[in-house]
Amino acid sequence: MRFAIPSSSKKRYLSGFDWVMGVVDYILKRTTCAGNIFQLVFKLDSTVDPETVQSCLCRFIKEFPVLDGRVARDYNLAPYWQVPKKDKGNSLNFNSRRLENSPLHGNAWSLMEEWVNTPFKNENEHSAFHLLNTNSGESYFAMTFDHRLFDARGAESFAHLFQQYLTGDCNSHIGDVRLTASAELSQWADKFYAGKNVNRKIIALSKTSLRALPVTQHCEAKKGFKFSLIGFDRQKTCEIYENAYEEAGYLMVMPYLLSVAIRAMHGLFESRGLSADSYIIPVSVDMRSSQDIKQELFFNYASMFLFQIHVDMLNDKQALINEIKSQMYEQVQSSLPKNLLKASLLLRIAPLFLLRKIFLLPFGGKFASFYFSHIGKCSYQYPEFMGAKINNIFHMPCVPTPPGIGIFFNSFNGQLNAVISWLDGLVSDDEILALENSLRSGL
Amino acid sequence: MTVKDIENKLIKGIAAITSKAESSIKADVPFHELGIDSLGFVEILVFIEKTFKLRLIETDLTKKDFETINSLASFIGKKL
Repeated sequence: MRFAIPSSSKKRYLSGFDWVMGVVDYILKRTTCAGNIFQLVFKLDSTVDPETVQSCLCRFIKEFPVLDGRVARDYNLAPYWQVPKKDKGNSLNFNSRRLENSPLHGNAWSLMEEWVNTPFKNENEHSAFHLLNTNSGESYFAMTFDHRLFDARGAESFAHLFQQYLTGDCNSHIGDVRLTASAELSQWADKFYAGKNVNRKIIALSKTSLRALPVTQHCEAKKGFKFSLIGFDRQKTCEIYENAYEEAGYLMVMPYLLSVAIRAMHGLFESRGLSADSYIIPVSVDMRSSQDIKQELFFNYASMFLFQIHVDMLNDKQALINEIKSQMYEQVQSSLPKNLLKASLLLRIAPLFLLRKIFLLPFGGKFASFYFSHIGKCSYQYPEFMGAKINNIFHMPCVPTPPGIGIFFNSFNGQLNAVISWLDGLVSDDEILALENSLRSGL
Repeated sequence: MTVKDIENKLIKGIAAITSKAESSIKADVPFHELGIDSLGFVEILVFIEKTFKLRLIETDLTKKDFETINSLASFIGKKL
């Protein structure tokens, strides 16, 4: 017999993956103090008036009391996001600065890193907005989000909705946003069957030793993440996509980029002299269809592929690409990403501190070698933001720790970006430079 | 099975994978214009294996074979 407990407008039940993001938040708050934070940055070709941004944002976020919610759990087993009444939420967390000049790797970049590493003020605050105008005439607008509330595409869509709101074409779209979800307290056999399949996969993966960088107390003492952005112009991006087609096949950009990332990371691991048999790379995948994005804007709709690459395969690029494609095919065929979503629903009964320990059981606490993602099409689709032309949009995500390092690709307006994110102290500046060079030359 | 039958089966499968109405899937539109990414594409390949017993991931597919649902249906028709 099937039954569903519907959520009310003040109660949005969390999916299993939302709960997993909560565990990552719990772990990161104990590692870096800030939590599972994600930042979306707009690089604009002109300055923007801070007062106008502030007043527009203030009006816009009042439409979304969900931004001021918090995790709660009552008589049944499923945790939910408690949504406060309209006008009962926090005030807007907005700050603006002006800088003398705008080198992306200078003061502006340090400030952007500082914003990602700044904890939210309290349990009900999940967003912060930053504007950086420069005397050279450029500006940066950063939206810093709690990853429990948005995934990457959701955050891009939220920014898109904001721009739509500014153009006066938003009311119907705000109504489209879905803020209800079933508690998913039925079809237990299905969930346990999915859990069994996921367990088998994890046991199979854990049979070989895993290469991972050691997260030491020295790293944890630094309390923050560092980022490096590698931007490719339109011409180079076209070349990369053409190479992806030639070497990996039609619509196989993700496996191609992953192969380059693995080979670049391999160089780093080899230089450290780390010996183990294989790399394990969780790769996040968006489980929404392109249509859903307007409705499924808040919370997380991602799942994962789990790739295992043996070290002896790294010398042959074509063999590596074929192996990635083959593993991807087998995981779609065995419904691994869907099974992970179903199985994670079972985890919601466990408190976060317990799940933290459980997550570290396989692979001797190493969990993975590094994280990877590729977001193909940007959900923000306007060429301008608040009247300023957009030069680029890139992401700055914190990485679950361990492994504490990840490579994340996104694209905007025909330009590909690669962002390396790592726990401060995990790798040296020279190692990051070598990693950047490997990525550039590999693409 | 005619190419038209294959085309209809592909449209049904792709509509299910992309959560779109069958009527909105045009047989002469390139896959990348249907909003299909690497994951969606592999899902289509798995659908083809289940439906037509053809494993295409390991074959040397060209962009032309996958240009549109029409061309894919012709490619599958030749392989069956």
